[in-house]
Amino acid sequence: MKRLIERLIENDEIDRALSREDDILPSSGFAASVMDAVRREVAAPPPIPFPWKRALPGLVVAGVVLAVVLLAGIVVLAEPGRATTRHFSTAVPSMMPPMFDGGIQSAATWTVLALLLAFVSVKLSMRLTSGRA
Amino acid sequence: MSPSDDQTDVERVLAGDISAFEGIVRRWQAPLVNLAYRFCHDRGRSEEMAQEVFLRVFRSLGQWRKDAVFSTWLFALATNLYRSELRRIPVHAVSLDDIAEPADARALAGDLEDRDRDLAVRRAVFGLPAKYREALILFYFHDMDLTTAARSLGLPEGTVKARLFRGREILRGKIPKLLAVPRLKEA
Repeated sequence: MKRLIERLIENDEIDRALSREDDILPSSGFAASVMDAVRREVAAPPPIPFPWKRALPGLVVAGVVLAVVLLAGIVVLAEPGRATTRHFSTAVPSMMPPMFDGGIQSAATWTVLALLLAFVSVKLSMRLTSGRA
Repeated sequence: MSPSDDQTDVERVLAGDISAFEGIVRRWQAPLVNLAYRFCHDRGRSEEMAQEVFLRVFRSLGQWRKDAVFSTWLFALATNLYRSELRRIPVHAVSLDDIAEPADARALAGDLEDRDRDLAVRRAVFGLPAKYREALILFYFHDMDLTTAARSLGLPEGTVKARLFRGREILRGKIPKLLAVPRLKEA
């Protein structure tokens, strides 16, 4: 037994065991199935490229809007005096942007604007995905 | 199997003759399926993985720089795919710690057939950590050619050498257990 273990402990034995691994043969239809897959791949339409030309104006507008909103937010936060002296419903936190200052009329304006923005972005994405790249 | 055959076929495929790819497939199907088999020991899965390699090769034939031998590029691509495929869905491996200790020392004294012993060592390779297992698989697949194994793994030769050393060391530490092959625990 000891001799057997010693033999196996030698690298040669590990080499022999791992080198002698039996080879397998690919199945007879393997090459044909690979070629079928290759032909399918060639026949498949190329992936639709992203329509940067169409998307760019929308992206620029979105970027500008985001920047304006951020800027407005920063301006509001930078004026703590205004925020605390605001006469507004107690239900609305004092840090809310000035858009709520004008009461129900102003809020309605902002809601309409938000809805309009949502509508435009939906229409824009529908146009982009319509396949007319 | 000559490098010029590969180069000719690659050029024809790149020129638009898709049927020339069949030459590449026929020449390399056995080595790629066998390499995959050594990674997963599952015939069906090894053919699936080899097919995926051929598809990737087809897509990226243009990236083969002709200063490297086609087979080196091919095996590196295959090894990379097999490794990531096995990371995604690992092979059910018998952990080295799950190999039962022999209850009776006489079990070791029994004359195990060479084939059984070899099988036990191969199974034990599957219980090794991936980096040692991959180095051992590639080294023995390439007929113990360290340079080719290192190229296939995309690693420096020294790193592969160190991993081979450590992998064998772990195997050697487990060899008394390996001799109790018939008593492998059912996982």
